Formats: sequence, structure tokens, C-alpha cells
Amino acid sequence: MEILIATQLGATQVSKPPLGGWGRGVQFTDEQAAVLDAVADEIIPGGDGFPAPSSVNIVGFFARYVTPASEEAKWYPFLPEIEFKARLGKLAGKLMARDPLGRVEVLRRLEADDAEFFTRVRDVVYYGYYSRPEVIRAINIHLEAGKDYRYSPQPFGYSDSMADWDEALLSRVTGTYIRTQDVRPVDLPDDLAARRAVKRSGVPDLPTAQPAPTPSGA
Amino acid sequence: MKAVTETDVLVIGAGAGGAAVSKRLSDGGVKVVCLEQGPWLHAMEHAHMYDSWEIERNRAWSWYSNVRMMPEDYPTTGNAAPMMMNGVGGSTLHYAGAWPRFKPVDFRKGTEHGVEGTIDWPISYEDLEPYYAINDAEIGVARRVGDPGNPPRPEGWGPASRGGRVGYKMGSGFDKLGWHWWPADNAILTRQKNNRLPCNDCGFCLGGCPRHSIASTDVSYWPAALANGVELRTNARVERINTKNGKATGATYIDRDTGARHEVNAKIVVVAANSVGTPRLLLMSAQKGHPDGLANSNGLVGTHLMFHSWSFEDYWFDEPLEGFKGPEPAVLYSQQFYDTDTSRGFVNGFSLQVGTALGAANSALGTNTGNIAPWGAGHREFFNSHFGRHALVYVQGEDLPVATNRVTLDTTGVTDSDGLPAAHVHYDLHENDRRLIEWGRSRAREAADAAGGVIDTASTGIGGVDGPPPGWHIMGTCRMGNTPEDSVTNKWNQTWDVPNLFIADASSLTTGAAVNPTSTLQAVAVRAAEYIKARFPDIVAQTRTPSNADAPGM
Repeated sequence: MEILIATQLGATQVSKPPLGGWGRGVQFTDEQAAVLDAVADEIIPGGDGFPAPSSVNIVGFFARYVTPASEEAKWYPFLPEIEFKARLGKLAGKLMARDPLGRVEVLRRLEADDAEFFTRVRDVVYYGYYSRPEVIRAINIHLEAGKDYRYSPQPFGYSDSMADWDEALLSRVTGTYIRTQDVRPVDLPDDLAARRAVKRSGVPDLPTAQPAPTPSGA
Repeated sequence: MKAVTETDVLVIGAGAGGAAVSKRLSDGGVKVVCLEQGPWLHAMEHAHMYDSWEIERNRAWSWYSNVRMMPEDYPTTGNAAPMMMNGVGGSTLHYAGAWPRFKPVDFRKGTEHGVEGTIDWPISYEDLEPYYAINDAEIGVARRVGDPGNPPRPEGWGPASRGGRVGYKMGSGFDKLGWHWWPADNAILTRQKNNRLPCNDCGFCLGGCPRHSIASTDVSYWPAALANGVELRTNARVERINTKNGKATGATYIDRDTGARHEVNAKIVVVAANSVGTPRLLLMSAQKGHPDGLANSNGLVGTHLMFHSWSFEDYWFDEPLEGFKGPEPAVLYSQQFYDTDTSRGFVNGFSLQVGTALGAANSALGTNTGNIAPWGAGHREFFNSHFGRHALVYVQGEDLPVATNRVTLDTTGVTDSDGLPAAHVHYDLHENDRRLIEWGRSRAREAADAAGGVIDTASTGIGGVDGPPPGWHIMGTCRMGNTPEDSVTNKWNQTWDVPNLFIADASSLTTGAAVNPTSTLQAVAVRAAEYIKARFPDIVAQTRTPSNADAPGM
């Protein structure tokens, strides 16, 4: 509620990260959107029945999670609008005139030169792409392990297709535990015996609040 | 002018311990005020119905207060990152409800080996068992009885959560090896209880539960506590516990909505602010007669911090396992190697706990171990061969209580939003615990290989992703013990220094065992509440905390 009110009133600082991203989202120019699409399409190439990121509105996902200029970028993915757009502008010149192989080369150079920024963009592409309904549908169709996968955990859950326990397996389980009255002192290796703080009587040998020496082998 | 409230018992913290204490006390007609520095959480504040639920795990639903940076959070400094939430429910808002019990041997580790700061608990498993049972009934445990590796436990409110394909796969591995294993007990409803819906196996437990299936205390204990008349004040940040003539008189808190200070006067004070927050508050409460902080005349407040020792082992198999379904962290466990066998070169033991994998983005981003799908041409092949074909094995070891692993007050000027000092958390993994986890990692691999068809593996290595073990479980900083020299409280959770000051959270735990701690800390809290209820006039009349032998019984 605190977030909603703050957003509606246009407050410049909210106290919590808005769930689902920034509701209004940032606005990208056509050029900025084209750069983002191009980057995302090289990070996760479409094919084998899976759509390209540019065809599932990956830009719209970035728009929700880039922090608007009116806010401090203090929450993940720590991409402030003005700086992020400036970086897209720099990338445009290097990227857009290149063919796909050239674009990969540009991105590899970016990964080497500015790993933190590249990783953050890559991760948001992964988060965004694998949240899109078209991608979930591709997972359902093309991956046996994902045929039941849904785009959000709720409201449906998976009880309709959750396997129960195998009774035959469970019938063979064995195990044991030490009863209270059966607890006995163990013979300690020398290095651990030297680290014993309490006599067997339960009376402290060493003042426990004192800094302990470094354990042997540490 | 300060507003003053009078009550019988003041409880500080509305999480696992504080909620249980508040409810059980108020069942008996005790007048309770509870102060909680966070707000209520609304079900719609969970991320489970958003398409972007996976990225939200890094934002409002991050485990780390230093990442969330919400106004109710307080920061920590030091070399470890404890996982904590602030709000009605405390860190149970953000836990998965794995619900094992400590074993009888866990209460006698001083007798067994006594290494480092290890001492016996002043109580036994048998002493605590009735309160485990009370607490299990309160929260609605899901359980399959009959585990031969543990003492008998009562029937659950509902059956154990189903195991899915992950449960079958790893259960088959343990079966093939002839090792112990059993379906996990969970504090997750498998049958409706009051207004809480049964779990629908959505798989995203560590983001809280909008169905209220997971027993976070905002939905388990608090509705009944409020109906009993407990006065719960939210956004109420305690800055000091007050004392006079050697006894607690109550606390001063800051109303975070207005900034005004208020006082609550009480005959008994119970602190349940977790194993970081409780020592922080006791240390912040230094005052005349208690120059080093409350209950700290022996210097033990904040010491013997335990996190458990960990390694997360991800395995991918050549068949669909659909790990996006079902209880996230605790499908089943093996306690084949729970007990000390010093021929292995270490004391204590570990559980192998089987968990799952969340969604598609998490799979692409390395699951639990940073095994990230490559970008570019190799992405599709990697993703398609890994997604939904995974099982996680946690090697969850008992770590030694070490005096130098401790919580202190930050001295570098880092504060919360009200200017109160951050907690400084220092933790180094003991060599014994390092050996234990290394040995356990090999056993986890053995189990995966026995299950068959492993195509890829990855591990956090010893200690977790960030070096020190991840602070999933924070325990032991104000432990109960046998004498005023070895502990902070007596066997009834009564601080040795201040007879009407009780500690009822995971900081009370004398040792940490090799299992998730919440069921035990809550059983201890229930026991403390029942004691206060039964012995209220005696406690209020005491001017010195009695020894364990002299304390009046239940």
C-alpha cells in the first residue's frame, strides 16, 4: 500500500521496491529499443521452436526494471535510467551496423571490458525472456521436462500433476538414532581434544568468551 | 512527554518465538503487549502471481536486509550475511517451513565431545518433546509418521507433502545405497486449517506463501493471539530494555510512523528478536548496573553464533524431474551420517536434505550454484538439457559453537533508519566443520550417482556462495545453559543476570544440531511461555535468577 500511494502521488522516493517493477516504466526511444532488441537476440538466439527475445517484448520487461530517473537506483538490477540509456546510445554506434557475428564480437568485448554491466543486462534478459508467455508456451511444447510449467507459481500451483511417494521404496527404509541415555563420550582426534572447552563433568575448563586460538589446520 | 503503557508481559519481536510466547501466554489470560519493528504483510505483497516473480527474489523478497533496505530493516556489518525479515511473522515470512526436530543426542553434545564451546543443553529431548507436540499442533505440521531414524512423533495435521519426481529419484538413490531417508516434515498445510489454504505445490516457498499454507506466525499464531486480546504494536522499534534495581521494568520504543518515543512497563520482559536482533538489543541496553549490556555480566551475549555449515550440491539428470513443483527446500532428508564418528576426522554430523529448483529463469541463471547457461549459440542446448531435470542436495552440517563467532554492535557509524547501531556479525567456519562438509559433499555425490543418470553437477563448495556459510539459520547467541558461567539463561530461558528478563528465540539454542531450527526454537518458546504462565507470581517475586536445580518446576 505504501508503494502504491507513493507511485500514484508521483513521489520521488519510495521506501520499498515496487512489486512487478515500476508500474509506468521508462520510455525508450526507437533507437534504444532497437539496441536492446539486438543485444537480447544475440544473448538468447531464437530457434528450435523458441522465439527471439525481440519478438516477445523484452524491451517492455526492461522498461519495468530500469529505475526511472526520478528514483535512486538502489534495488536490483541497479540500472538507472539516464546512465542505462547513455550506454545504449554508445552501443548503438558499435552494434547496429554490424551483422550477427559482428554483434556477438561487440558483446564479447563488452563482457570482457565491463563485466558488471554486461552481466546485469544478460541477467535481466534471462529473467525477462523466461517470463514471457510465448516462451513458456515453447517450453511446454518442446521440453518434456517442462510440459506442465506455468508462467507464475500461483494461482494454479502444480497439485494437479504432482506425483506422490512410492510406498514400496518407503517400506524398505531403515534407520536408527541415539537415545538420550545412550549418549557416551567419543574418543577425539588429538587436534579436537585440544579444543575441548568443557570437562566431561560439564564444568567449563576454559572461559568460553575468550578469543579462541586458531584451530590446527585452519 | 513519553506515553506509558502498563502490562503483565512485554514481548519484543513478533516472529517465530515472540508470536508463540504471546499466543500461549494469552491463552492463560496473561495481559501481553508485543512490539514489532516491522509492519503486517499483505498476501498481495508476495510475488507468486507476477510474471516477473523470479527477478523479484532479488528485490523486496531478497533474504538480506542490506539488499532490501526497507525502513523496518536494520543493516548488518561484518563478514557474514544473515538472512532476516522484519514484520509480523519475522523471518518466518521468508522461510520454507522445513520442520525437522533435533534428536536426543543433540541435547548432549557436551557429554559426547565438548569441542570448542560445546556444552550440554540443560534440558533433554524428552523435556522438550511435549512442547514440540503442542507447537506442531498449533502450526499444522505436514508429516508422515514412522521415520525409523528419529523418536516417534505424533500424527501431523495433514500428510507429508508429496515428493514428486524429485522425491522418487533421490529416494531411489538412498534406497539403492541402503541409507536412511524419509519424507520431510514441513510447516506447510496439506489440509486446510482455519483460514489457511492447503499447499498447492506451487514450488516457490522461499518467497513466503500467499495461500498462508506455510506457517509464518502472522497466519499461524497471531490470529489467535489477537483474538485472545494481545496488543500487537507494529512499526514499534525497541531501542532499549529498561531496568531498575536489577530487574527489567519494560522498554522504550520508537514509533516509526511518528518518530515519537513511548514506554511499555511490564512485570516480565521476553525478548525474541532473533539471534542477531536479540544480542543487538541487549547490547544497546547498556545502562547503570549493566555497563556491558543487559544479561551480559559474563560477556557471553552475542557469542557462540551458529549458522550451520553448508554446501549446496546441484545435480542434473537425463530425465524430467520437474523440480519447479512441490516444496522448495525440503522434499526428503537422509540422516545416515547424522551421528559423530570420529574416524572420519570430525565430530558431529549432517543431514542430506533434498530440495528443488524454482523456475526457468533461475535455471538459466545457474540454479543454486552459479551453473549459468551460456549466452549466445550454446544457450538453447544448455537450457533445454538442464531445465526441469534437476535435484538439489543440501549438505547441512552441525557447526560448533565458537566463542569468537559473535554478534556485536557496529562501531563504524552504520545505523538503521532511526539511528540505532547496526549489528556487526563475525563468523569463521571451524576446521572441524570444514572437514565435515567436505566429507558430506562426497556422500551427496554418492547418492546422486546411485540415483543414476547424472549429466552435470555444480556446487557452492564448502561454506556457501559467499565464503562464510550463508546465514540461513542464525542460532545460539544467548544460549541457555547449566551455570551463569557457561550461558546467558537458565533452563527456563530466564537470564542469569535479570530474573524477569527471558529470551525465547533461536539465540536460546545451546547447540544447533544438523537440522533446520525453527521447530525447536518455537518449542523452546512455547515451553518458556508455559513456564511463565505457571510460575508468574514466583518469577515476579524473584530478585535473583535461580539455578537450574533451585528453580521452581513447571
